[in-house]
Parts: sequence; structure tokens; C-alpha cells
Amino acid sequence: MHIYMLKRLGLAVLVALAVSMIAFGLLRLSGDPAIAIAGEGATQADIVLVRQTYGFDRPLPVQYAEWLGRTLRGDLGESIYFKTPAAPLILSKLQTTLVLGLLSLAFALVISVPLGVLAALYRNSWIDRLCLGLAVIGQALPNFFFALLLIMLFSIVLHWLPVSGSDSWQHFIMPTVALGYYAAPAFMRLIRAGMIEVLDADYIRTARAKGLPASTVIFKHALRNAVVPVVALTAVQLGYLLGGSVVVETIFALDGLGYLAYQSITFKDFPVMQSIVLLLSVIYVVLTLASDVANAWLDPRIRVA
Amino acid sequence: MAALAQPAGSPLQLIPTRSVWQRIWRNKAVVVGGGLLLLMVLVALLAPWLSPHDPYAQDLAQRTVPPVWYSAGSWLHPLGTDPLGRDYLSRLLFGARISLLIGVSVAIISGLIGTTMGMLAGYFGGKADLVVSFLVTTRLSMPVILVALATVALIGGSLWVVILVLGLLKWDRFAVVMRSATQQVRSLDYVAAAQSAGASTTRILLGEVLPNVLPHLIVVATLEAASAILLEAALSFLGLGVQPPLPSWGLMISEAKAYMFFSFWLIAIPGSALAVLIFAINLAGDGLRDLLAPEGRA
Amino acid sequence: MPSRLFARPGRRIVTVAMLAAGLIAGAGSVWASKSDNTVRFAYDQAPESVDPYFNNVRIGVIIGANVWDTLVYRDSITNEYKGNLAKSWKQIDERTIEFDLREGVKFHNGEEFDADSVVYTLNFVADPANKVTTQANVNWIEKAVKVSKYKVRVITKKVFPAAIEYLAGPVVMHPAKYYAEVGPKGMNAKPVGTGPFKVTQYTPGKSIRLERNADYFKDSPKGTPKIAKLEIRFIPDRQTQMAEALAGGTDFIMHVPKDQAEQAAKVPHLQVVSGETMRIVFMQFDTLEATPTAALKDIRVRKAISHAINREAIVKNIVGAGSRVLNTQCFPSQFGCTDEGAPRYAYDPALAKKLLAEAGYANGFDTELYAYRERNQTEAMINDLKAVGIRAKLNFSQYAAMRDAVRSNKAPMTHQTWGSFSVNDVSASTPVYFTFEADDVTHDAAVRDMLLKGNNSVDPAVRKQAYQQALKHIADNAYSLPLWSLPVYYVASKELSFSAYPDEMVRFWEMSWK
Repeated sequence: MHIYMLKRLGLAVLVALAVSMIAFGLLRLSGDPAIAIAGEGATQADIVLVRQTYGFDRPLPVQYAEWLGRTLRGDLGESIYFKTPAAPLILSKLQTTLVLGLLSLAFALVISVPLGVLAALYRNSWIDRLCLGLAVIGQALPNFFFALLLIMLFSIVLHWLPVSGSDSWQHFIMPTVALGYYAAPAFMRLIRAGMIEVLDADYIRTARAKGLPASTVIFKHALRNAVVPVVALTAVQLGYLLGGSVVVETIFALDGLGYLAYQSITFKDFPVMQSIVLLLSVIYVVLTLASDVANAWLDPRIRVA
Repeated sequence: MAALAQPAGSPLQLIPTRSVWQRIWRNKAVVVGGGLLLLMVLVALLAPWLSPHDPYAQDLAQRTVPPVWYSAGSWLHPLGTDPLGRDYLSRLLFGARISLLIGVSVAIISGLIGTTMGMLAGYFGGKADLVVSFLVTTRLSMPVILVALATVALIGGSLWVVILVLGLLKWDRFAVVMRSATQQVRSLDYVAAAQSAGASTTRILLGEVLPNVLPHLIVVATLEAASAILLEAALSFLGLGVQPPLPSWGLMISEAKAYMFFSFWLIAIPGSALAVLIFAINLAGDGLRDLLAPEGRA
Repeated sequence: MPSRLFARPGRRIVTVAMLAAGLIAGAGSVWASKSDNTVRFAYDQAPESVDPYFNNVRIGVIIGANVWDTLVYRDSITNEYKGNLAKSWKQIDERTIEFDLREGVKFHNGEEFDADSVVYTLNFVADPANKVTTQANVNWIEKAVKVSKYKVRVITKKVFPAAIEYLAGPVVMHPAKYYAEVGPKGMNAKPVGTGPFKVTQYTPGKSIRLERNADYFKDSPKGTPKIAKLEIRFIPDRQTQMAEALAGGTDFIMHVPKDQAEQAAKVPHLQVVSGETMRIVFMQFDTLEATPTAALKDIRVRKAISHAINREAIVKNIVGAGSRVLNTQCFPSQFGCTDEGAPRYAYDPALAKKLLAEAGYANGFDTELYAYRERNQTEAMINDLKAVGIRAKLNFSQYAAMRDAVRSNKAPMTHQTWGSFSVNDVSASTPVYFTFEADDVTHDAAVRDMLLKGNNSVDPAVRKQAYQQALKHIADNAYSLPLWSLPVYYVASKELSFSAYPDEMVRFWEMSWK
């Protein structure tokens, strides 16, 4: 078990490094940061000045190494665009995105677990197809379209919810639905498949034969087994939700990490972008690690060394 | 990952017999989904003949004309025109080609990459598994927008750039699913038999493993195709997708967003078309998965 | 599927009914704003810093004018200069202006305004080491010198006739003691100025709250504000802004695209105001030796392009009310801007094809057209070009990326806009593209010399003549194709009283509820 964890940890570190290197290179390739910082109307002299001030004229590996050294010492640098330290900036936006991500995940599970269980119990019937249909609704439309439709219905017509912002819990309802619904079909299919497999298995038949009530069978035995892959998927989906919330945050003006990431990419704000990428990959890797450990604990058969 | 295990020792029949056709017909999901898909493919192929106008022809005097069922509409433009005066029906029909092309191409490219990686990881385990794990985790931690933005900045936005970016990014689920599916198949009798008979690894992978993981591959391929088509719309929303005047449904939806509250049909028409396509793909994919699963589930 | 609900005949009735229902409800929130004398304003881009010297976005300029003051004030209707923080001024020599400052003005934190404020602010921002974002706004200042408590001299590096224009625009006055203590970072965290509004709360990237400055000096040409509170929220998506306007969550939005604005005008509780702005639109041609499209080096090709675009039709159908076709690359109200003597390139596709054939391009040629905004206009132009055989591929990207391409000689044709920072002088527009600076892709020495003469002469008559010659020369050679001016559309609550000005400046100090 310990060797397993060490290996996974080593992997995690390598991944974080690789991702930060690729991100760094990609951002540089996508344009001259000096021009982005100097802004509209800057003369050539302005741009050269910017380049020298921020050290963009040094070779790429040198810039990367210097960034890495500083980050490991805890100095995340200063936002080139906002001209404030990067770390507090990121932390202030992280909260909103984290809340949104967790709520969306919860929403996705709330939808997909009952639908998946129902679909498995009544497999291949019209209930099965209906459940799948309901789950897929969230994925049938581009998410910005879906989000704006929600706004149209619940804000402009019904006047039940505020359009945008993040001041109250009501502000989070539509973004949660828009983001979470997208993740639902994957979970639902997984739960359905897992439950079907388990419901057919011998030990379930034994439990039924013993006369255990159906609900005990479903929840104590079948679901527990079906949950195993769902835990793994949760990590993946949370990673997606955190990173992919750009569209939802943009539409609902949520000022979270996703939108900050988009801004930092647009404005070539290296320190912020690098820090966000690092943060997200660390979170993602930790989640994967946690889900692997949880899986191994739930099902001792899965210990792929 | 919980997978749909097949009973040991029953390799898949790849050539459908009569009884297989009967099973296909009885599976409503495949029939309806597949039928819709086929219809869309046909429409896409016949677009040049079905379209009343040139989808690129602008007419600034006929901007944003509503569809025929509004009082201001007419049969000259059955589905109305867009803000540059281009016939919407024609753009919709030609857009089917683009969306389908994106879905299929991305599924093929990412499928090839991901399946190869997954099968190698699942079959050999050990170092190969570690490397693939590393690659998958790295890929999942990369923000997609960044890659898209960098690519577009380097090469400029176009249909092929979108396909390339999506194809190079969406192989992760293939890799993960194929890996676990291969792991399960690896331990089956006939694979061991082939190994002891001295067959080469390639032959085993292609001849014994692949046919048995095919159901998973197809399911993932359909889901990834649908997801790719939707992602194209998201990329267009961020300005990183196909360039106008190309009538991809994703771009049409993204452009029509600005008129959503006042000329709802501009976004509803390609939006509905896209939704139907996604539903059809999902339906067909799920139906196929049930179909290709062993007897106990049909 | 939600959208399927609408795919039936009678859909329009449903849509209209829904909107009507929502609008009746929405009107209620509007009255809430009016009853506590607040204006809620939504804008799409948050400034990187609220200090006017450290951002270059429109909202930053707007906040700058509402929270701070300048020495001089330009009346946007009569275009005459009045004193703001300065009572009067006179030119001492060709590089020195002396200002008599107003007495009794206080900053929002109580600090007194006097010559020290002017001297510290100007010397600080003129120093390139302090990295003011838009150097062009300040790099003409050599230094400011205190003469007495309420008298100050501003010395320019070279002869700079537009100095007063800049001192009436982007060059605002900061409190010397406070600014010295906290610097730009502190100013961004807690902004302090002399203006009609003061900042009460600021969450970077999210919102700014302002309230009326009760002690605003009575003699200000801006007048006393009638609105008590101002709430600015940053909403990146235009549709969300419109949704807020429809639902009554916001009272004022700007830069609304023409089509949406025209539709919004039909909504009962909204009003739409549009006005021309100083932002000019033009197509720049890369005619340098290493241009990616060699055809552009031939004057006949450039003239063909000029005749191929149907500017009138595009202005009428797409650009919007208040915009006009331009014939020279400057905005007509700018000092020195004229189209006298410049050729008019009428819409004539047949002539365009003839010119192309003469130049050897009877079958047209392939090229690229770069753009970063107003994409529908770019698409319309590409269509016009296609009609005469020029196959232009659209390259739509971010502003920075397009500039990058221009400066590295990769962009043969660009669809550009330029706002001149609302400076009403040709020195802020045409020379940017024709004096051998980084954005000049023409490199005509004669033009450069004429423009520089206009920039650096003191006599207005000499300046005007030099600019007129330069503009005519540019138009004769079709180095670029001036297109049109851009209007801006404001959508606001019907109960709000306000006017639109060509400098795109939102004057909250003039607004009131009806």
C-alpha cells in the first residue's frame, strides 16, 4: 500500500511539472506578452521597455527555471495585468469556483444516482430510455445556450432568480444547474452499468434468496459496488468542472478561477496563469490520488501496482 | 472501472447473421437513433441539392428575416435569414456536413490515439501502464482553452485546427476505458491460448483483444463524437473555433446568441438541430452497447 | 429538449408573451433604483487598476472622469476649454504653460489641492520608470514646477500644441501626500481624487461602488451630481448584460450592438440612445517591401479595393445610426482633420475589376484580412471583395494578436479601429500609422515629414496646412482605406435622463432620474 502511494505521489509531481512546462511554452507561443501588456497605442519603445522590465528577452528555459525556483520558495509572483500579488488574487477567486464546482458535482449526483438506479432496475424498458433521455438533456445543448435559456426562463420571464453575480445563494442556483447537468450523463451511465453488473452477480442472488428486502440489496450491496468507478469519475469530473467553468462563470459574471484563467490567458498574464495551471493540476492529481486510495479501500481487488 | 464483462470464451461475431439483424430491429434505441443519424448524414451529403440558396451569399437588404411561419416571413427563405442576409435553411443544411465531419474526424483521431495507448497499457502493464497513466493525468490537468488558444494563435483558426485540437485532446477517455477493458480481456482463456500458441503481440492485440473491447470502443466513440460537436460550439463562443463564413452549427449558435432575446429562432433552429443530433448519437450509442453486450442483457 | 417547445407555429406569440410578462415584472426593480437615487451600471471589462494612469480601458477612463478632475475641461458641445482645477492659464514660451490653480478644493480624504499636487502628479507620471500604461498620454511632459501655492508651470519636452487637450483629458490630478505614501497600488486599493463621486467600495474584477461627493467644489464646470449612488458591476457577457437590462437588474449598459439596441428600443421600460463616437474604422494595407501580399504594393490594386467596398450600404445597414463614411484617416472634429482635396473612392465594382486587370490580376488574388472587432462589418467587406475577385481569408483574433501580426509584417490587410483616446487633435490619430513607428506599414518619408511638421509647429494655420497635405497624400496613394465612424448605443431604463457624447465618456455627474 505504501509503495503504491509513493508511486502515485511521484507520478503526481511529474505531472505537475510537465503541465507547467507545457503551459508555459504554449502561452509564449501564442503571442508576444510585451505587446499585450503595453496595450493599445504603445510605441515600439514602450514595448521594448516592457520586454526588458519583465525579462521577456531572456531565453525561455531561463525564464521557466526562474519561475519554478520562485514558486517552490512560495513566491507566486505578481499579476502582470492587475499589478497585485498573484497568490491572494487567485485565492480570492478560488472560493467561488470551488463552491460552484462542489455544488455542481452534488447536483450531478443528485440527478444521476436515482436515474441510474431506476434505469438499472428497469433495464431496457421505456423507463430506462426515459431516464437516459432526462440525463442527456444537459448535454444536448452547448452550455452557454443552456445557461442563457435558464436565464431567460427564470430571470426574465418568471423573475424568480437574479441574472448574474455571486452575492447570495440564489445567485448560484442557475450556474450549478448549467454546469452540473453537463456532468450527469456520464455518472448516470456508470451507475446504471455498475448496478446491472452487480445485480446479476451471484452474491446478490444469494442475498435475495435469503429473503433480504429489495432496498437493502440495492443500497447496501449493489450500490456500494457500483460506487467504485463513480469515485474515480468524480475526480475526473471535478477536474473538468473546475477547469471548464469558464463559460458558466463568464455568463453568470461569477468572477471565479475559471474566468480569471481565461483573462490571464487573454492578457498573457504569465505569473497568474502559471499559478492557476499549477494549482488546478495539483488539485486534480490529489483528487485522483484520493479516489484511487478510496477505491482500493472499497474494493481490495483493485490494487494495480 | 466497472465494465461490462463478457462471459468468458465467447468471442464476438463481427459479421451479422440473420438472428443478429432481428436483434437489431428489436432494439428500438438503435433503430431510432441510427435512423435519425442516417437521415442527417443523407441530408448533409445532399446539401448542395437540397439548399435553396448559396449559404455564403449575403444580401444586406434582407437581414434577419424571420422564418416562414411568422407574418414577416416568406417561402423565399423558409427558415429566414441571418444578420448578413444569408439563407438560414441553406446554412443549416451545409452546417450538418461540418458538424458531422467534426464529430467523426475527432472520434477517429482521438480513438486511434487513445485506443492504442489504452490497449498497450492494459496489455503490458508495468512501465507502459505508468507512462500512459502519466500522459493521461497530464492531459486531464491541461486547460483545454489554453491549448486551443495557443494553437489558434500559432496557426490561425480554421475547421482543421479545431479538429486537430479536439482530436489531440479527447483521447483520454478512450485510453482509460480501453485500458481497463484490455486488462479484463487479458486474463481470458483464448488470449492465453493464443499466447501459448506463439502468436505475435500485434496479432493478439488486433485479433483477440480488439474485437472483445470493441463494444466499449464504440460507446466511447459515440460519446466523444457528441462531445466534440458540442465543444466546437464552446470554442466558437470563446472565439477560437471555425472562422466565419463557415456555417458550422456551433458557430451559428454562437453568433445567434447575440439575438437570443429578440430573434429567438436564430439560435433555436441550429440549437434544435444540434440537440437532435446529440440525442441521436447518444441513443444509437447506448443501443449499440446493449446490442453488443452478451446474451444476458439483450 | 427546451428549444423544441418553441418549434411550432405561434411560437412568436409565446416569445412575446413571455417577454411581456417578464418585462412587467422587471419594471418593478427599476423603480427600486429610482427610489433610492442609485444608478446601476454594467460593463464588460474590469480595469486592471482603477488608477487612471495604470489602465487603458474605456471603463477606466470613465471612472477617471467621475472620481478625479483635470486642470482643464473641454466642453463637449462647444469644444471650448474651460478651467476645472485650474482657473486660468497662459502660454509663457513655446514650451511652457503657466496655470493659476483654484483655491479651496479638497480631495476625498481631506487633503488640500494645490501646486504640490500638480507638481508631484505630473513629475511622477512623466517618469518612464513609473511605468504609466499609456506613455503617449504623459511622455510629452518634461516637468512641472511650483511657482507659488496656487501657481504652477508645466514644461513640455518639445513644442506640443496638443498639451491643453491632454491636460483636459487623461491627465488627472492625484493628491501629492497620499500618492507619495501609497503609490499606484495604494491608489488602486483605496482611490482618492477630487471628483464629483468618491469610491466607497471596490472589489477588483467584480464591482465598484461610488457615492456622490457632497463637498464637490461649486465652481466646477462639471456641475453638482444629482445621483446619490453609483454601482458599477463587471459582467463579461453582452447577453447577460442585456438580460439584466430586461429583467430590471441594471439601469445602464453601453456598447450594445446595433441590432440588439434597435430591438431593445421596443421594450416598454427601456430607452435607447445612440451617438457617433470619435472611433474611426479603416483598412490598413501593408505596402512594405516584405508584405505578405505583393499585389498591395501596386497603387491600382489599392484603388481597386477602395472602389470595391460599398461603404454607404454597410454604414446604412450594419454600422448604425450616427455613423458616417470617412474619406481621410482621422475623425472630422479633430483639429487638423479635413478631407479637402482628398479623392473620393465611390463604390464601383466594375472599375475595381478593370483596375485589377490593368495591374495584372484579372483573376483576382488571395490574401488575408485581419480583424479584432465588429466582425459582421469585416464579413460584409470580405463579401464585397469576393465580388471583384479578391479572395480574402478572415483572420479574427484578439487585439494584441493582431498588432503582433502587423508589427511582424504578417498581416497584409487589417480592419482596424482607433479611438485616439478621445483626444480631439490629429496628432493623436493619423501619425500613429504614418510616422515610421511600429504600426506604420507604409513608410512614406514625405508623409512622415508633413505629419511631424503638423505635430511640432505652434502656429495653428501651419499645422492645419501640413496635416491637410499629409491626409491628401495618403488618400491619393490609397495607402489605407478610411471606412466610417463608429456609433455607440446605450440601453438604459426609461426613467433615467442622460445624453450621449462623441467621446464615449459617460457623465454620471449629469445624470438624473426623471
